[in-house]
Amino acid sequence: MTRKDSLAHFAVTVVGKDRPGIVAGATGVLYRLGCNIEDSSSTMLGGEFSMILIVSHEKPFTKGRLLEEFRGLCDELGLTVSVRPLTRDEAQYRAPEGELCMVSVYGSDQPGIVFRVAQEFARRSINITDLNTKLIGTKEEPVYVMMLEASLPDGATVEEVAALLDEIKKELNVEISVRSITPVSL
Amino acid sequence: MPAQKILLYPHPILKTFCNPVPAIDDEIRRLVEDLIDTMRAGPGSVGVAAPQIGATVRVCVVDVSASRLGKENNHGLLVMVNPEIVRREGDTIGREGCMSVPDYTGDVERATAVTVRFLDGDGAEREVAATGFEAIAIQHEMDHLDGILFLDRIVSLKTGLFRRKSYK
Repeated sequence: MTRKDSLAHFAVTVVGKDRPGIVAGATGVLYRLGCNIEDSSSTMLGGEFSMILIVSHEKPFTKGRLLEEFRGLCDELGLTVSVRPLTRDEAQYRAPEGELCMVSVYGSDQPGIVFRVAQEFARRSINITDLNTKLIGTKEEPVYVMMLEASLPDGATVEEVAALLDEIKKELNVEISVRSITPVSL
Repeated sequence: MPAQKILLYPHPILKTFCNPVPAIDDEIRRLVEDLIDTMRAGPGSVGVAAPQIGATVRVCVVDVSASRLGKENNHGLLVMVNPEIVRREGDTIGREGCMSVPDYTGDVERATAVTVRFLDGDGAEREVAATGFEAIAIQHEMDHLDGILFLDRIVSLKTGLFRRKSYK
């Protein structure tokens, strides 16, 4: 068995009211345990700072042990931590295979923008690989912005996706643009 | 000459500022051949710079004519010795990958059009105005000559759009 085969993996999420020290605190717990951060994404959402980390450890230990190690920090900084054990396969990053496209959607704020786009994509097996939304504009006239990255199934084209979203554009009265972002190798 | 092995980051040569070529001699001519052969051997490769095969001199090759994105608009094979960008225009963001940094791609901001002055493989001075994918490939390869990887230029659309605090 190679070193990589024996690794234990966890998906760890940490959420709490933003303040200095959350990243240092959370990564400090993981470092002292001997965990390696294999992948992570952290950002501020509203006033909440949120971290999602995929971590590995040389020796298997339980989810309970990991949560226990975080307890002191959670109490100190008011954080909520959850842990999901992953198999080695689940932890592995798989690059999307189809053509990649970036979709920008924006318009007057209203419920259902994310859902309607995601629903159409799900029906056509278009895989959303990254999604961010934000409320911008003014208090009086809030503008909702969504940017998502999606990988298209074999045979599907960016033009078809654009045509598909044209319907939603009319239905929701929002602007939608689609562009190919398939990487170029240089 | 056979295709050469592409150096992978963190090889220190990839972060080295390369020296200008004082004269095109046999050694440089051999290097140019190696670069062309290495570019042709890389699957889908449209350019290679000297430091990627271990030479710290300002030489790179670009040829986007066989690629889907570049086939309609290109100058064929460009052998560029001591290249210099004398004009740049516009900006665009595209997702780039690099043979020296495998398994990772990122969004990079580039000029949409560049005019580049260089000596060709025979030592003649040339000036080429490139646009589109060819312009991007030229900027990517020329960055290698300054020890700059696309990782140094990654921009985030999200940050650009969402983190702007004031328009004043």
